[in-house]
Amino acid sequence: MRALAVYCHPNPVSLVAAARDRAIEGLEAAGHEVRLTDLYAEGFEPAMSATERLDHKEPGVTPDLRRHADDLAWAEALVLIYPTWWSGQPAMLKGWIDRVWVAGVAWEMQDGDRTPTPRLRNIRRIVVVTTHGSSKLMNMLEGESGKRTATRSIRAMCSRRTRTTWCALYGIDTTDAARRAAFLDRVEKTLARL
Amino acid sequence: MNALVVVAHPCSDSFCHAAAERAFDGLRAAGHDVDTIDLYAEGFRTAMSCEERVAYDTDDPILDPQVGDHAARLQRSEIVVFVYPTWWSGLPAILKGWLERVMVPGVGFTFDETSGKVKPGLGHVRRVIGVSTYGSPRLAVGLVNDNGRRILTRALRMSCGPRARTTWLALYGMDTASPADRAAFLARVERRTAGV
Repeated sequence: MRALAVYCHPNPVSLVAAARDRAIEGLEAAGHEVRLTDLYAEGFEPAMSATERLDHKEPGVTPDLRRHADDLAWAEALVLIYPTWWSGQPAMLKGWIDRVWVAGVAWEMQDGDRTPTPRLRNIRRIVVVTTHGSSKLMNMLEGESGKRTATRSIRAMCSRRTRTTWCALYGIDTTDAARRAAFLDRVEKTLARL
Repeated sequence: MNALVVVAHPCSDSFCHAAAERAFDGLRAAGHDVDTIDLYAEGFRTAMSCEERVAYDTDDPILDPQVGDHAARLQRSEIVVFVYPTWWSGLPAILKGWLERVMVPGVGFTFDETSGKVKPGLGHVRRVIGVSTYGSPRLAVGLVNDNGRRILTRALRMSCGPRARTTWLALYGMDTASPADRAAFLARVERRTAGV
């Protein structure tokens, strides 16, 4: 499969960065073709501009985001790799969704349509690799908004049969080295089996 | 009481800005002192930097004076109002970034190394009010879930005082709302905030 990995962490030396490496190893070992987007490394601007907002009904991204839109149209699997902050995707990754998943890229609406028509039906798998500071229970109490954004909101613009896989490590603030290593193994195995 | 209104919309003449103004008027009419932070107008940086992520694990997690200023203004507020358009069922990136960069250890919460427990840092906040517009109708928002609302009324609410109340003011189906619907919503924002 053609896999687009979108990685988001400000620190190049982090558990999430290690998870990215293992995810890519898993994908490549299984013979998948991989494209990697590193939002922090490329200095992605996450805040939608006033011009983009005013033109949001016009199809297409701003010219500097063309590659991101092309990558989405190319991908059969989308792999999101990020730390969960305040129960959701980091602002940097949310901004990538806000600015790239626009009309003409992720969805379209003709005159008279009441609901958007998905345009990313090429995406058949969504895999989320993420770490949580707090426990699974605490995340449930907080509402798991990041999980819902991935498995419901953006999935709604993909194929109807898109499968989602959640690969998460909870409680990293209190976790030990063995559990971290086990998580990294799980990440590689999950993506090798894609 | 002291109230803080946080607005997140890129266009200064947006409907959200109109709603923020009405919230300001309502809170003032109720006798509160109202402070406003307009994230786009202030040029707030959305993404937490690498240096900030490293500092997050230290005793001095705030590096940017603007973040320090916002944290101080938040810390003297008993009422916090968020005004934003819901995008992809969530907060606009700039508002999510504000939570990430301002609600750091010592502000949003404290982390007890020995017990591993997180303690609320916003015990002074007694009321969280969300004012948001949605392109989709209410039913569609319900189906995919309102993740922005969940973050503010659950995740953030857990960092506030145990008796903190939440109020949600939503205009659904913004794309098809008539001028009368919009006017009625603005009036509701002013009325409800005046009752706080």
